[in-house]
Order: sequence, then C-alpha cells, then structure tokens
Amino acid sequence: MAYGGDAGGEAVAGRGHNAPCSNRDFDFFYRGLEAEQLLIQKCGGCGALRSLPTPACAECRSFDWQAVPVSGEGRIHSFVIHHYPPLPGFETPHPIAVVDLAEGVRLVAAMDGTAPDDLQVGAPVTAEFLRRGDVAAYRFRLS
Amino acid sequence: MADFANKTAIAGIGATEFSKNSGRSELRLAVEATLTALADAGIDPSEVDGMSSFTMDNNSEQEIFRAIGGRDLKFFTRIPQGGGGTCGPLQQAAMAISTGVANIVVCYRAMNERSEYRFGTPMSGLPPTSDNVVFAYHGFAGLMTPAAMIGMMMRRYMHETGATSRDFANYSVVARKHAATNPNAFFYGKPITVEDHQASRMIADPLRLLDCCQESDGGVAVVVVSAERARALRQKPVLIRAAAQGSPAGTLGLASFYRADISPRDECAAAARQLYETARMTPKDIQVAILYDHFGPTVLTSLEGYGFCARGEAKDFIKGGNIEVDGTLPVNTHGGQLGEAYIHGMNGVAEAVRQLRGQAVNQVAGVHNVLVSAGSGVPTSAAILGIDG
Ligand SMILES: [Zn+2]
Repeated sequence: MAYGGDAGGEAVAGRGHNAPCSNRDFDFFYRGLEAEQLLIQKCGGCGALRSLPTPACAECRSFDWQAVPVSGEGRIHSFVIHHYPPLPGFETPHPIAVVDLAEGVRLVAAMDGTAPDDLQVGAPVTAEFLRRGDVAAYRFRLS
Repeated sequence: MADFANKTAIAGIGATEFSKNSGRSELRLAVEATLTALADAGIDPSEVDGMSSFTMDNNSEQEIFRAIGGRDLKFFTRIPQGGGGTCGPLQQAAMAISTGVANIVVCYRAMNERSEYRFGTPMSGLPPTSDNVVFAYHGFAGLMTPAAMIGMMMRRYMHETGATSRDFANYSVVARKHAATNPNAFFYGKPITVEDHQASRMIADPLRLLDCCQESDGGVAVVVVSAERARALRQKPVLIRAAAQGSPAGTLGLASFYRADISPRDECAAAARQLYETARMTPKDIQVAILYDHFGPTVLTSLEGYGFCARGEAKDFIKGGNIEVDGTLPVNTHGGQLGEAYIHGMNGVAEAVRQLRGQAVNQVAGVHNVLVSAGSGVPTSAAILGIDG
C-alpha cells in the first residue's frame, strides 16, 4: 500500500514546503506548489479524485492514494471579497473563490490580482503560481 | 427516533445584562446567570447535579459548581462547533435526565466576547490538528474569517435563488425592529432602515456590517429538569419536545465548500428531520422560530432548511412581513443576535422560553411550540420547545 502523503518524509525545513500549518495528509499539496504543480489526491483503490485532503477514500475506504496533477482550468462556483478586518499577507479588498475544476473537484483559492468587480459565478479561470514570502502559493485568474 | 420527547422541561432561565464590556470576569457572568436561572425555577443550587456547555466556553463546570455551592456533580459535557452547539446542551440534558443519569442540569454560556476574546479575527499560527489544517488550507487563500466563509456560501445562494443584498437587509431591519422594543437588547430604541443597511460598509462582500451579529459580553443559563418535577415548580414548564444535532455528509466547520450545495442549509434540514419526527410535528405546528443569526442572511437558508419555506422562497417570505411579531411565523422576537446580543444563541433559547410562558416583551399570541436553531454553516443543533394545553 502506497501512502502518497508520506512520500519524501523529510522533516520540515524538510517537509519540502513552508506552509505554516500542515500535517502529513496535506503536505503533498504544498510540496506540489513548490514545484509549480497543482496536485490532488487520486484513490489507489477506486480511482476517485478527491479535494480537501483526507486520509481515506469516502467511496471505497482505501488508504491508498497518489497525488496527481490537475489542469488548473475551472469555473467560479462562488466567491467572496474580504474587506475587513485586515488580512495578514494580503491586501484588501481580497477576492477568494470556490472553483469547480475541469476534473470535477473543487478548490478554494485566492484571486488577488483580479479586480474584485470582475469576478462572476460561472466565469472560467486558470491557476497560476506565485510565492508569498517564502511560501509557494497559487491563485486563480480569469481565463 | 429519540425517545426523550416531552420527558424533560426548561424550568428556569437566567441572564446577565448584555454589553460591550461587562466589567467583570466571564466566570462571574456564568455564575450570575446560573444563580438567576435557579432562582427563576425555584430550585436550590445545592440540588444541581449536571452541567452542559460549549467547548468554547472558558468557564469550567467545577468552578461554577464551586461558586454556587453545589454538592455532587454527576454529569458534565461540552458540545463543539461554536455557535452550532446552542441546542446540544439541551439535548444532553434531556438525555441525561430521561435516563436517570442526572436530575437538575444547568446549560450555560457566558463570555466577554467583546471585551476579552474577540472572534472573527484571522486564524493562523495554530498546531496542526485536524480542524486547524483545514482552516490553514483555506487561510492560505486568504479565507480566514467566519464572515468571509459565510459570505462565500451566501454568494452561491444568491446566484441560485436571485436573493440580493436588499433581501438580506429586510431581515436586518426586522431584527432591529424587534430589538428596538426590547429593553434588554443592546440596540433597544435603535431601529434601522433598508437604506441604513445598504449604506453600511462591506465586511465580506456580499455581507455588510449590518448583516453581522454584534460582539457581546454576557451570560445566559437555563435549568432543565424532568417534566414531572417541572410541573411542581413555580414557572410554567417549557417541555423539550425534541432536540437534535445535524451534520450530514460534506458538512465541515465553516468550510462545506466541497458538497453539492455549499449554502448553510443541508445541516439545518438534517436537524429538522429529526426534530419533526421526534416531536411528531410539522413546520405548521410551530408558532415562533428563533433562527440563529451570526450573520443575518443565514436566516433565509434556515427558514428553508427548517421547512418554513420552499427553497429560494425565503426572501419573499421575509419581504411579505411573515417574520414580524404580527406575521405568520414571527422570527427572533427578541431582536436576534443582530439586535439583542450574541451569546452563541443561548439568549435565543431564553426568548423561546419567554414566548412560551407568555413573558416576552414582544409577545406573540397563542404560542404553543417554538423552534430554536443553532449556528448554521457548521455542524449544527436545534430544538422544539413547547407547553401543554
Ligand atoms: Zn476509493
């Protein structure tokens, strides 16, 4: 049985990323960003994709999974513009979106860099990679 | 189906004043509310043998118990999920008393949320517990506050139903109208208009300042006993007809973004199914609803989740005046948490009791059953309270 989340297994500085609060279920995601890859979990038992990392597959209960890259293409399912209070690490107003990925799973991501007034439910978006300080990150922009 | 229906009752309620700075410790607020509730019930504090609260409450049961002169505490439990926990302690008390584990259970919530422990501030720098890694994963996107998380949910609801910010304003206006005639409300004598709401600043677009509950200091306690014992006490017994928790598939703490319907409605519907089955009732049997308003717009999804409106119809139901004191289903007659105070919904439980006793300032005529809900957008809880006859 392969445990994708344990691949590497370095200590942090050695976990392969600098995201501030993670565990061994989530590390793969942040490590992917270091390599400018958007990764999600694919069940080794039934092949189901799942987003929001979790240790077991809700479809078949398998613990076997791999991190696979996704396209980063999707559409805005919903969005919010954070105005107040000030956000550590982000300018306000700050847009955030729930995105339906082309692969059929959802991600929640920042959309800073896009004018808040330009966000619309249903709008096509594309992931892009950036760094926030020493942390590898990603966000969506309008396609 | 739960078999504790109507076997227990709320025999006493107590509260401190609601303010922005209580000027005393949270523990003192908890003790004051507890002693007031016991006096209201006519029960000697030495008889208390059970206590239930929220995991977020900072006041330990043994410290309250010490202060009230308790003798033998046999049952103590806590309910998680912040404001989603409001009716969990009622369910705990009903189960404990109806099974003989305890006899007199105090449910309490006291906080200096405004003056000492403000919520709604960005969450970061936490140990990697199962909840915190999820908060951090979303915080990584800049999604860090309850207002933004609920705003995300409500934006989708607006898209699907055509509800607008003005529809949200209509709820805020009613809450503040009810608070305006409630001397215990922080916003007593301070009604607002739709225009006031529309002019208030954005907090997490689509949520404006006047969609958000207040930050409050205060404490509320209720005393639960067997229905039989309650009938021998000084207040009219308010029966716990049903109490339930609800967390259907895909429900997460302010993060149910991965289920089909991200609006804060599924968890309400899950609690509602249990309530109506246990109480053997339908929404038509409810005369008043106390619907949790950490953010006013969630009253729309709660009206639908608890079966008072069909999906998407809540905006017109509110606009039609139905939730006002003289409407078909008065809602949050104390002013809600937008208007009275934000004590994690426990002040709403107290209002439900007052409506059933006939002691509310904005009293509705002919109240026999009241539905009380807890915070939505998180695993939730709710109860149906009622009186005989
Ligand atoms: Zn599977």
